[in-house]
Amino acid sequence: MSFERGDGLDVATELIEDAPCGIAVTDPDGRLRYVNKTLTQWLGLPPGGDPSRATFASLLTGPGRIFYDTHMAPMMRLQGFVREISCTLDVQDGPPLPVMLSGVARRDAQGVCTRFDYTVFDARERRAYEEALRRAKREAGELAAIVSSSPNAILRVDSGGCVRSWNNGAVRLLGRSAEQALGRPVAEAIQLLDRPDWFMREARALRDEAEISFEARHASARDFEVTLAPIGERGLPGASEDWSVILRDVTRRKQAERRLQVIFDEMRHRMKNTLGVVAGIARQTLPGPSAEQLVSRLQALSSAHDALIRPDDDIGSEPVVEIGALLAFSCKAAGGSARFVIQGPRVRLSARQATSMSMALHELVTNALKYGALSSEQGQVRVDYTLDGPGETGPFRLRWREVGGPPVTPPTRQGFGSKMIGLVLQAELGAEVRSEFAPEGFRFEVAFTAG
Amino acid sequence: MTAILRNNVDVDGPVSAGPMVFVHGFGCDRSMWRDVAPAFVQTHRIVTYDLTGMGGSDLSAYEPRRYADLQSHADDLLEILEALSLRDVCLVGHSIGASIALLAANRAPERVSRLVMVSPSPAFLDDPEAGYRGGFAREEIEGLVKLLEENQLGWPMQMAPTITGQPVEAPSTETLTQSFCRTDPEIARHFGRVTFFSDRRADYERAACPVLILHCSDDALVPMNVAEWMRDRVPDATLEVLEASGHSPHMTVPDKVVKTIRQHLGTA
Repeated sequence: MSFERGDGLDVATELIEDAPCGIAVTDPDGRLRYVNKTLTQWLGLPPGGDPSRATFASLLTGPGRIFYDTHMAPMMRLQGFVREISCTLDVQDGPPLPVMLSGVARRDAQGVCTRFDYTVFDARERRAYEEALRRAKREAGELAAIVSSSPNAILRVDSGGCVRSWNNGAVRLLGRSAEQALGRPVAEAIQLLDRPDWFMREARALRDEAEISFEARHASARDFEVTLAPIGERGLPGASEDWSVILRDVTRRKQAERRLQVIFDEMRHRMKNTLGVVAGIARQTLPGPSAEQLVSRLQALSSAHDALIRPDDDIGSEPVVEIGALLAFSCKAAGGSARFVIQGPRVRLSARQATSMSMALHELVTNALKYGALSSEQGQVRVDYTLDGPGETGPFRLRWREVGGPPVTPPTRQGFGSKMIGLVLQAELGAEVRSEFAPEGFRFEVAFTAG
Repeated sequence: MTAILRNNVDVDGPVSAGPMVFVHGFGCDRSMWRDVAPAFVQTHRIVTYDLTGMGGSDLSAYEPRRYADLQSHADDLLEILEALSLRDVCLVGHSIGASIALLAANRAPERVSRLVMVSPSPAFLDDPEAGYRGGFAREEIEGLVKLLEENQLGWPMQMAPTITGQPVEAPSTETLTQSFCRTDPEIARHFGRVTFFSDRRADYERAACPVLILHCSDDALVPMNVAEWMRDRVPDATLEVLEASGHSPHMTVPDKVVKTIRQHLGTA
């Protein structure tokens, strides 16, 4: 295009002065010869510039001045141009202005440098974006370093079950290099005993869960805790359907657990033997009825110990007993489920609670058989209990009602059985206990927090 | 690898002539001397080289832990002098290259007899306690390291340029990429720190041979008071202030630099 004659100079001047970019011209040694209006305004300088800022370097912040002298000026000389240099203007009475600048060296016919021309672009948005990119890159680098140095095997597995990345931890733990593992089905690269095709099975089973963990033994006889989790959000069009698979070596923990199990079994065995020996001594030492009474109480204690089981996969925790197991012993002693009706949810008792409850139940059954409802043909004991709250622990209340037995008269003195109940439930457990000798049948209630 | 290969050493001039070895500064490479070194080729044995990690040197030799100490660059320089069997050497250093030359001279006074320092500074950082104004605060140097991160200058090679009037597909395109001053960004940041955080005032105060200091009257990197500090504190020092602007008089006013050096070397 061309300007109308006469307008040309005005338009060209305006174009340069008010250009949407800064323009500066310097001598080859960096002294400013021209600064356009845009750049003057960006710098917050008075029209015509500031004599104390007579060089191109003086328009820049401290780091920019160093960069100008160590890089830009030599480059302008040696290669004749610079481009897309990220730099910062030192603005008078204002915050520094990030800019992107390019320059070209002009030479005369003899090839001698005569001047340097610079264009300067406002780069605030671009700088903020690049800063965010650099930060993200740094963070990604840090994460990558963590993954790479982790003692755990951390892998990326695609939706088809093939290994896509294999960190150093995997190399160490599984004795297989990345080259040997990449692209292969993960269930083949990592063979778990009794779990062929483990990856696809577990991935299918995961559904909406955030992750799935299981323990398994590797072909190398080491135990691993394996965790599968989807990477990224599922269901987004085009989103990754890959998985992260993390293997942690739990061989030592599993060994310790196995040793503990052996010790535990041995303890139980010895306890039963000891109770057996004590029962034998009692029979030899005490008169017949007393001996039987003591032995039956010892058996109640022994059966409580039998009920002390541990959850298979949680060996380190306190042993727990389900109340149903204790009531099953009582039911058997009472003569079966026709005479002993139980109703209630699953409730977990601690070892202490289980021991106390089994002793108390033993006394209650014994009393019912001797004097209460179970002493007559039609009599029945009804036990119902409630648990307040979710799970299998919490405030627990058990009601014992005897029906269909002979008329009840309150005892004139407290027997040993009643004392025993008070002792084990109130003193030991701090339980709330209430008993009532109603004419139609004995009633008993106990409440404590189970678990 | 020999020092000659490692440091991309170039030798010119008569074999028997007095040796002049040029040490470039931070930012570029030995090509910075292209308007000065050739002026001495008739009278001197001219050696230019790239500092380890810069220009055409063996980048793999840049071991950051080793080169965290400026002395390592001076030791490289002494290896070059030894490899070329040079004695009675005049070392010409620019900026931090001048400090490297000084450290080499102090370590091997038997090989180095003269120092020419172009825009040197013993320390760029201010030291208010000692009343020393190097010109820069710590934050400004950190800012420089950030700038170096933002400007990787064609590393890796950027697209061919479209500078005014130069066709992209021109045969000269290859040389038009920003190949000058191109450095591995990691090394540039590291050497930038080493350069601008170094404080060699104590070494300047015990310079082992006569020193000629060339300082520009308007240097944005080295204030005049630093030039005066060197004039007063460096033994046997001569300060020549060039009426020039900038930090690289060997590029902006090479004739003045050549003339001043000649006068002082007595080979005018």
